[in-house]
Amino acid sequence: MNEYIGIAVAFVVAGGIAAAMVVLGSTLGKKKPTSEKLAPFECGKDPLSSPIGRLAIKFYLTAILFILFDVELVFLYPWAVVYRTLGTLGLVEMGVFLGILMVGYVYAWDNGALEWK
Amino acid sequence: MNGATLADLALLVPELILVGMALVLILVARRIQQTPVAAVGTVLAALLAAFCSGRTWSGGAETAFGGMITVDGYSQFFKVLIAATLALAALLSVRSIDREQVPRAEYHVLLLLASTGMMLAVSALDLLTLYLGLELMTICSYILVGITVERPTSNEAAIKYFLLASFASALLLYGISLTYGVTGATDFAAIASALVKEGPGGNPLLFVAIGLVTVGIAFKIAAVPLHAWAPDAYQGAIAPVAAFLAAGSKAAGLAALGRVGLVAFGSEADVLSAVLLGLAALSILVGSVVALSQTDMKRLLAYSSISHAGYALLGLIAGTPEGVSAMMTYAFFYVFMTLGIFGVVIALGERGESLDGYRGLAAQRPGTAALLLLFLLSLTGIPPTAGFVAKFVVILSAVRAGYVTLAVLAVACSVVSAFIYMRVAVLMYMREPQDAAPSRFPVAVSAALGVAALVTLIGGISPGSLTPWAVSP
Repeated sequence: MNEYIGIAVAFVVAGGIAAAMVVLGSTLGKKKPTSEKLAPFECGKDPLSSPIGRLAIKFYLTAILFILFDVELVFLYPWAVVYRTLGTLGLVEMGVFLGILMVGYVYAWDNGALEWK
Repeated sequence: MNGATLADLALLVPELILVGMALVLILVARRIQQTPVAAVGTVLAALLAAFCSGRTWSGGAETAFGGMITVDGYSQFFKVLIAATLALAALLSVRSIDREQVPRAEYHVLLLLASTGMMLAVSALDLLTLYLGLELMTICSYILVGITVERPTSNEAAIKYFLLASFASALLLYGISLTYGVTGATDFAAIASALVKEGPGGNPLLFVAIGLVTVGIAFKIAAVPLHAWAPDAYQGAIAPVAAFLAAGSKAAGLAALGRVGLVAFGSEADVLSAVLLGLAALSILVGSVVALSQTDMKRLLAYSSISHAGYALLGLIAGTPEGVSAMMTYAFFYVFMTLGIFGVVIALGERGESLDGYRGLAAQRPGTAALLLLFLLSLTGIPPTAGFVAKFVVILSAVRAGYVTLAVLAVACSVVSAFIYMRVAVLMYMREPQDAAPSRFPVAVSAALGVAALVTLIGGISPGSLTPWAVSP
C-alpha cells in the first residue's frame, strides 16, 4: 500500500494548489466586469446559438486528421518501450504501419482536406 | 511470440496483394481519369490473389501469427471464391460508376478492402480475428452502399444498414465475451477443448454465447430474422454493390459460420443445430413468400438471396464435415449465379431496376433473355444448371442428418420460388416490349456475364467437378 501514498499526496497537493488559486483569485483580485467579459466563451464560435444548429464540415475533417496522428502515437508509445526486444523486424513493421497511415494522410492532402476554406 | 515473421507473412500473400493494390489506388486516386484503369488494377489484384491462394496452400493446414490465422483447404477454397467475386464485381461496375459519377479509385479501394476483410474472416482461427475480418468487410460495405451521395435512397439505405449492422456486431461481440467467460479462450481449438472438458450442457451461459455468436454472424448472410437490412440496402445501393454484397458477404459469413460451428462449438452440436434450424427454416419460408409481392428487381433478388441463405444453412445444421462441404458447394455456385443475374440487371441499366422493364426483352435481345433465363433456372434449382446441384447436395445432407420435415419445407418453398423466377421469364418471353431496346453492353460486363454463365453451366453438367476442393476444415 505504501507506494500509493505518494500518489495520494500528489492528488492532495495538486487539488490544494488549484483550490487555493481559485479562492485567492476570487477574494483578493480586482473585478472590473464588462459585458464582453461576462459573456460565455467558446473557441471561435458564436456563444449563443441553437444547440441543433449546423457545424462547418471543416472541423470534422480536422478532427479526422487529428485521429490519424493520435492513433499513430498510441501505437508508437508501447512500441518504443519494447523496441530493443523487437529488433530490426520491429522497426520495419512500424515503418510499414506509418507508411500505411501516411498513404491516408497523402490522400486527404491530395483531396484538399488541408485547405481551410 | 516475438512479432510476425516472414513465414507468417508468406501465408497472408493474397490479402497483402489486395491491400497493396488498395494503397496504390488511394495514392493515385486523383490521377486516375478513366474508370477502366482502376477496374483493371482491381481485377489483376484479384486474379493474382486467387492464384496465390492456390499456391500458398501446400496441402496440409498451416497456422500463422500465433494461431490466429490458418491456411488450409477450407480457407483457400473461400479465398479463391472471394477473389472471383471481387473480380466479377469490379468488371460489372464499369458502366455504373460512370453513370452515377461514383469516385472511381475510392470505389475500387473499398471493394478491395472489403474482400481483404472477407479473406481474413474465412481464415480466422480466433473469434477476435474473425470479428476483425467481418468488421473490415462490413465497414467498407456501409460506405459502398452510400457511395452515391447525391441519391437520397442510397443515403437512407446506408444509414439503415449501418445501424442494424452495428447492433448485430454488438451481439457478436457480446457472444464472444460470454464465450471467453465460459471457456477462458477466444481461439477455436482452446474453446473446443474447454467445452469437451466441461461436458455437454455444462453451463447455461454457453447456450446464450453460442446463440449470440451464431446470430451475429447470421446477420452478414441476411438470415431471417436478421434480414431486414438486405432489401433496403440492395435497393438503395447501385446494382454492382448489391451484387457484391449478395455474393461476397454471404460467402464470407457462411464460411465463418461453418468453421465456428464445426471447430469451436463442435461438441455442442445440438444447441448450434437448434439455432441454425430456426434460422434456416425462417429464411427459406420468409424469403420465398415475401419475394412473391416484389416489383423492384433488386428487392426481389434481395428476398431471393435471403431464401438462398436459408438453403445454404441446411448444410450446416447437420454439423458434419459432409454437411459443411455441401454448404461450400452451395456457396460456390450461389455466388456465380447471383453475380450472373445481377450482371444482367446491371447491363440493362435503368430498365433492369423494375420488373416491368423485362417485358418483351426476348423479342428485342434474345441472347440476353436466354442468359437471364439460365440464371433464373439456376436460382430455381432446375437441372442441368448449377443451382440444381447446389440445392440437391444441401437438401440431401439435411435428409441424411434426419431433418426430413425441414427438407420437405425446403423443397416446397423451392416450388414457390419457381413461381417468382418464372414470373420474370414470362414477362420476357410472353409480353410485348414497352421500352426501347437496351444499348450494347460494355465488354467488361459481357465478360463477367460469360464467366458466371460458364460456371453455372459447367457446375450443372458435371456436378462432381467441385467436390475435390469442397473439403471442410
